[in-house]
Amino acid sequence: MSHIYTHDKSREQFLRAAKVIPSGIYGHQGPAEGCYVPVDAFPLFSQRAQGSYFWDVDGNRYIDYMCAYGPNILGYNDPDVDAAAAAQRKLGDCVTAPNTKMIDFAELLVDTVHCADWAFFAKNGNDVTTLAIMAARAYTHRKKIIFFKGYYHGISPWTQKIDYAGVIEEDVMHNIYVDWNNYEQLAEVFAKHKDEIACVIAQPYMHGNFMDNELPQPDFWQKVRQLCTEHDTVLVIDDVRAGFRLDLAGSDHYFGFEADLICFCKALANGYNVSALCGKNFLKNTISSMSYTGSYWLSAVPFAAGIACIEKMKRLNIPQLLIEKGNILKQGLLDAGSKYGFDLHVSGAPSLFYLRIADDPTLMLHQEWIAECVRRGVFFTNHHNHFINAALSEEDIAQTIAIAEEAFALLRKRHPQE
Amino acid sequence: MKDERTLAFLNLYAILGCLPLLCELDTEAQSLISDKNISLGLAIKDGRAATLRFSHGKCSIEQQLTDCDIKLPFSTYAKFNGMINGTVTPIPSKGFTKISFLTKQFTQLTDILSAYLQPEEGKPQNADFLRTRTLLMFHLITEAIAQLGNEDAISRSSASYITDGAIKLSIAGGPSAAIVARNHHLSALHAEPESYTAYMEFCDLDLALQLFEGQVNSVACVGMGQVRIGGMISQVDNLNRILDRVAMYLG
Repeated sequence: MSHIYTHDKSREQFLRAAKVIPSGIYGHQGPAEGCYVPVDAFPLFSQRAQGSYFWDVDGNRYIDYMCAYGPNILGYNDPDVDAAAAAQRKLGDCVTAPNTKMIDFAELLVDTVHCADWAFFAKNGNDVTTLAIMAARAYTHRKKIIFFKGYYHGISPWTQKIDYAGVIEEDVMHNIYVDWNNYEQLAEVFAKHKDEIACVIAQPYMHGNFMDNELPQPDFWQKVRQLCTEHDTVLVIDDVRAGFRLDLAGSDHYFGFEADLICFCKALANGYNVSALCGKNFLKNTISSMSYTGSYWLSAVPFAAGIACIEKMKRLNIPQLLIEKGNILKQGLLDAGSKYGFDLHVSGAPSLFYLRIADDPTLMLHQEWIAECVRRGVFFTNHHNHFINAALSEEDIAQTIAIAEEAFALLRKRHPQE
Repeated sequence: MKDERTLAFLNLYAILGCLPLLCELDTEAQSLISDKNISLGLAIKDGRAATLRFSHGKCSIEQQLTDCDIKLPFSTYAKFNGMINGTVTPIPSKGFTKISFLTKQFTQLTDILSAYLQPEEGKPQNADFLRTRTLLMFHLITEAIAQLGNEDAISRSSASYITDGAIKLSIAGGPSAAIVARNHHLSALHAEPESYTAYMEFCDLDLALQLFEGQVNSVACVGMGQVRIGGMISQVDNLNRILDRVAMYLG
């Protein structure tokens, strides 16, 4: 029987935070957007992290399947990445003239990412998805952008919807939304808006929230690629979330096509703050002509961390490693659910698995199960895909499955089968 | 930006839709109609209408024009909105002999309603007043969400992402209501739903009123544990976006 966690200190700190920070913790790591149901089941602030674990301010240890929502791919505080970052910090980080680590990092990305002829660095995923859109518009002299419903490409106004606070009609008037995996609908939009579409932007597969994640249908990407080529439309792959967890050469490579522009962040440097836009040669001059920069974008420490991270990911063959770990976990969770008569769905790539108890379409049962797992030390979320990291051990997976089973047993007791 | 058509729907069904509850909760309002048996029809040119019935201390509303003793027709949404904000004096097309109800009791009723919905700044408010104000606001907001979700262009965008189901809204220890979505069309249920796909519960009347008055934010309150959400949270999320528009229309 697992120890049940409480979060008194988290609550104390949250009350303190709420006085001076809007909503206490804003964004996806906060209790509202993070869908903490019920909120008292979840830790709100961490104290430290190591490997595949983090500890909250109450001293509870969690096996962490969110990995800071993706950046932690090798394990928190990976010694090789941290050593490279520390060595660079002694030499200099944010300096008037950039360090040549920037070139080393760009060369490494060009050698690693299949569609990359160059690399441009920034800080967050949103920086590079926005650059990709601007570059597509600058190159094509067109306005319209096609999105697949259920997308997430960041927080700039163009990525949001007309009903979001602070977004005006003009921000999104050139956005066109089509259904994922619906090639015919996409082709119709291209026909209707001939010579108007600057780019198609998409994640490599549909990892939307509150729904089973959906892989591309056979030939979907190949047909989309061809359509974009025929219409001189730029194809942008937002690999911020899935990047390096499917294929080190890029998720477009994994699904057998080539993007014109590909966006990376999250797993790029194991938590050090850097993002990258990589692209094909024909867009390089366009990018050169653009006014796009930031105070910390050429800092050298994250570049050094990124180099060490990519080199280690190559040594470990990380996509295969994470997919193997994900598959073991997936089977264990499915078996645990089945033992107590629950129809657990595990969708998406095993290295980025999404969970849903399908017995209850309202997700309330699922939320109850997730909360009981979190209370016992397995940090899952009830709305978002999860992330596997390399430090996750066989023991961690076994403990996760045991806790998941205990939570299933409790749920069955509360909700007997009719 | 407010759209006159949407505002008219909000005024017709959400604001005037509070009169039945007002007559239940406020003794002065109840006494005004205690010996009355009369109905008032409100009709806007495109066919949108409502009928208010006052019968021996009770009031009810139908979201259509049925048999009525007094009928007030409006040639435009703006003119109907003008009646609500006091800039247009309506002229009945039926019920001239009963017009005194309109000028006396009905006007007094709407004045009482206004005092609750838009209280004078600085005027002392006792616990009973605050309770009634909160319950009326809860009723108004529930109806307004449905009206805007069907009529306001931006709110319709939010409603287009709401999957079928009932989103339960409640105040702990107080009333429950629901927004029912069917094919992205919203309707308000001013009672506890039999089943629901998502829920948003305010911890008490005080907190609910603070939220309705814009003094606190629902996202912040979720973290504080003062607002409980669950189920299909995407439904609650999109409903909250409509709620922001309701605040803009009521502001």
